[in-house]
Amino acid sequence: MPFLRVLTLLVSFSFGIQAFSQSGKIVQGQVLDAVNSEPLIGASVYWEGQISKGSITDIEGKFQIESTVLPSKLIISYVGYERSERIINPKEADKPLKFFLKPEELSLQEVIIQERRPDEQVKNLEIGKASVPIETIKNIPALFGEVDLLRSLQLLPGVQTAGEGTTGLFVRGGSADQNLVQLDGAPVYNASHFFGIFSVFNPDALKNVDLYKGNMPSRFGGRASSLIDVSLREGGKNQIHGEGGIGSISSRLTLDGPLFGKNSSFIVSARRTYADLFLKLSSDPNLNNNKLNFHDLSGKFSFVLGEKDKLSVSTYQGSDFLGLDDQFGLGWTNWVSALNWNRVNSETSFFDLQAYHSRYQYRVDLVDPDNGFEWKNALSESGLKADWTRILDKKATVNWGFHSQFYRFAPIDLIPAEGSAISPITTSPVQGILNNLFAGISYEISPRLSTETGLRWGLFNQVGKGTQYLYPDNLPDRDIDAVDSVAFASFENMQFYQGLEPRIAFRYLINPEFSMKLAFNRNFQYVQIASNSSAGLPIDRWILAGKYVKPIRSDQISLGLFHNFDQNRWEVSLEGYYKDLRNVIDLRNGAQVLFTDQVETEILTGNGWAYGLEFLLRKNIGKTTGWLAYTWSRAWRQIDGISLNQPYNPRFDRPHDVTLVLNHEFSPSWTAGLTFVYTIGQAVSFPVGSYMVDNQTVPLYSDFRNTNRFPDYHRMDASVTWKNPDKGRKWRGSWNFSIYNLYGRKNPFAYEFRTIFNNDINFSISDGEITSARPGVVMTYLFTFLPSITYNFQF
Amino acid sequence: MRKSWTFLLLSLLYFSCQEEVFLPLDQKDQRIPVIEALWTDQGIYNEVKIALSKNYYDSLDQEIIKDAQVFVRVKSSGRIIPFRYIDSSNSYRPNPSERARVGETYELNVLWQDQVYQSSGVMLEAPIVDSVTWKFEEERLFREEGYYIKVYGKIPFTENNNYRIRVIENDTLKNQREDYLLFDDTFGLRFFEEGLELGYAFQENDRVRLELYRLNRDAFDYLNQLVNLLFNDGGLFSPPPQNPESNIKVVQGDSQVLGYFVVSPVLSRTIVIQAKYD
Repeated sequence: MPFLRVLTLLVSFSFGIQAFSQSGKIVQGQVLDAVNSEPLIGASVYWEGQISKGSITDIEGKFQIESTVLPSKLIISYVGYERSERIINPKEADKPLKFFLKPEELSLQEVIIQERRPDEQVKNLEIGKASVPIETIKNIPALFGEVDLLRSLQLLPGVQTAGEGTTGLFVRGGSADQNLVQLDGAPVYNASHFFGIFSVFNPDALKNVDLYKGNMPSRFGGRASSLIDVSLREGGKNQIHGEGGIGSISSRLTLDGPLFGKNSSFIVSARRTYADLFLKLSSDPNLNNNKLNFHDLSGKFSFVLGEKDKLSVSTYQGSDFLGLDDQFGLGWTNWVSALNWNRVNSETSFFDLQAYHSRYQYRVDLVDPDNGFEWKNALSESGLKADWTRILDKKATVNWGFHSQFYRFAPIDLIPAEGSAISPITTSPVQGILNNLFAGISYEISPRLSTETGLRWGLFNQVGKGTQYLYPDNLPDRDIDAVDSVAFASFENMQFYQGLEPRIAFRYLINPEFSMKLAFNRNFQYVQIASNSSAGLPIDRWILAGKYVKPIRSDQISLGLFHNFDQNRWEVSLEGYYKDLRNVIDLRNGAQVLFTDQVETEILTGNGWAYGLEFLLRKNIGKTTGWLAYTWSRAWRQIDGISLNQPYNPRFDRPHDVTLVLNHEFSPSWTAGLTFVYTIGQAVSFPVGSYMVDNQTVPLYSDFRNTNRFPDYHRMDASVTWKNPDKGRKWRGSWNFSIYNLYGRKNPFAYEFRTIFNNDINFSISDGEITSARPGVVMTYLFTFLPSITYNFQF
Repeated sequence: MRKSWTFLLLSLLYFSCQEEVFLPLDQKDQRIPVIEALWTDQGIYNEVKIALSKNYYDSLDQEIIKDAQVFVRVKSSGRIIPFRYIDSSNSYRPNPSERARVGETYELNVLWQDQVYQSSGVMLEAPIVDSVTWKFEEERLFREEGYYIKVYGKIPFTENNNYRIRVIENDTLKNQREDYLLFDDTFGLRFFEEGLELGYAFQENDRVRLELYRLNRDAFDYLNQLVNLLFNDGGLFSPPPQNPESNIKVVQGDSQVLGYFVVSPVLSRTIVIQAKYD
């Protein structure tokens, strides 16, 4: 989490500078998590009675503090951990000290759901950013008991879901492909399993997640609506630890510990589902001969190279496979790797270098003597990012750097099987190079007024090898043949775009507990999905900006009020935003984008805008924690060729959205979680009549899109966790019982408008004599009252 | 492939349930004319049906328009081929001797009340059908046990390769949404030479008539969009439902129009499934 880390370091060193300005002997030490020996960043270190002269631990959990008259009591405190107090003698002060803090969860004290400073919300410059600790996510009642990071983010204000049970995110009126999901800095192109039901992240391997939906620092960019920044955690450096769970759908295991001594560590994590077994339980032979599974593997290896350097290598590999009767197979795989080098040049100068490669591929196989084929595609992004940070003084910090990205979208290949009568298909490859320069400054104008200002300059080239088609009047139209095509050699420039992305944010501190923040952000997005369905499919066609598809431009202005009260136990915020989107795309009626080399002929281009108010009341400390969120928002699109060129609401436009998340610790053994969600139904199109054509009864739709609504969506989930509170045991197990959709609300997943024969929705013409036929509406709904049980363990 | 995706989604929706519901639906203030016109090289197929749309929950039969003026104009000569309403078929028909000729462009004209609708299409050359065979097959993926028909032929064209095969089994048109057999040259046309298997299982002694149409692109697109709409379940994986884009234009008046105009050659074969060919 570079941004958080730098912020922490800024605070840390500003304290440090204050401490070092005094003369005297220095006491050094390190603060570590007692469970996994991870360094605790930002822990407060001070001598008893001298809290104002304290220090804060750095990125390695290390601290330096000026000595006082010894012996004296040194106090270490860190949010979410037991306070540590130790009397330091003059002899001890000469050598490095180590402090192991126990999480308060294990110490029967208050449950704290955030890892940041208690007054962070009011004091920092962040607006439109949400951080959800992994421990919080693990306490939220989950579908099938599967703790899910992306589904948890849907509970935050300003984040909408595509529909029941899916992990797609729609942030402040942006579509799902306008979110950049990255793991340790590397993008993940398809962040879901099982057609979007589960996200790809194994919660045991994660450290934290930050969602940027408003102001985004200039070091980040590339997507128009949000950044979901996920970090893998590092392994402990003292001993091997394990963590895992056995659930209804999958099992998982994570191991971490020292690698080569105490300067290096590892964590490896695996998860595998066994949904195949559920299919086998079905009496339907069309289901029980099939395979449906996914797995995740992730690892992170960290090396402390010296006092100033730290290196980490992260990797994630996840696959899904669906097989039907050994004749049809669909599989897709993400493989993401990242190398991060963090260097502390001095107390005021830092450098981060990151290299990554992300590859996504899918493959479809059909075994058929006449029409068998293998259909595959892969896309990848490789990147290099360097980021320098320098603290100029207590008021100003600057950062600058570059981020180079290379996109390679391989040709879509359809290869006939031996003996197959179908012809092969190969589209042209598509490649692009995006170079970004960025710089930013955080500056405290006055004790009350601070600003974070940045600029990102993106220079994008679509480059060969590739083919560019030429159309009459430069207007691609599927009904008009291309007049010519031009082949480009490798890395030959095909199209160039550049754009400046200013980012500016102000915070005005009205009082220590109340602040106002204002931000403006511009983002360009050079890659997107050509699809008009609301939920993603693994075979979705990703396209790059080019001659006919311009990059998306997003401008967002946001204003927020932030207030903490009751000694920071409660946070309340109210944020408003307006977002303007240019060059968003949709597809023509009946568009075929999967195999065409001229995808531009299937695309319609237009604009969008969104606005809203987000209210969040959050309790972070105490036996009862959680939040209440309410969002009023609207999202609009205006695309020529759709809805008679008039503005319309995309499906995920949901004006009112209420979320309640509660977690309560009844005793050291028993905790419970409760979630309630209420939203206005999805914007959809219902028929306004019907007609007969080609011997079919066909629903008649209005020319205006999405003027109807599904019924309001609401659902309550609950969970209870029991654990053995005996913290002395090596094996700590817990049982989690959860119920999704506690009161069995039948929230519609889909409405189908069709003829119902013999008053039976399951009766088809081939089933026998037809005695009656009438128009009807059949509702499909998912997951009513779905209990699940999971056993989690640590050792 | 569409069936495959349906099956995938069924797998996904393993935990789903269905029930019939009543939804209050908006209604069109004005009912819309629906024109379905077929102009071929065989007189028996040539007809124009005109009806009105209705409210969704209306169970009554569609209202037929019987008082329209319908004709087809031969673009090259300007000759007008009149159609007249025939009660027995609920459609407008021309003189049976009139038929489309290859290479000619035809313009459909429908005048009703103060509205004028128009469309046009080119009569394309028919492909070659060499033979039709059948064979008994065991149950396969997406295919139940039964007799399967293969059509062998040749398509020597480099453009306008948009085809439809209609199947009439024992005098009943197979017209479920799964029954549409539309293909173009996206995956090549070699499969037609090597035998295009129709995806229907027949029984012994079934009498099967096949009709092969070569369509203009706009009519082919209309049918594809129609099938997509019939498969649209309104769920997250479906695109927003839209009416198929008609190739008929309103040239006078302010109403909409639905339906499509097909100009096509028709090749037909009738066979009786017999075990001796197994």
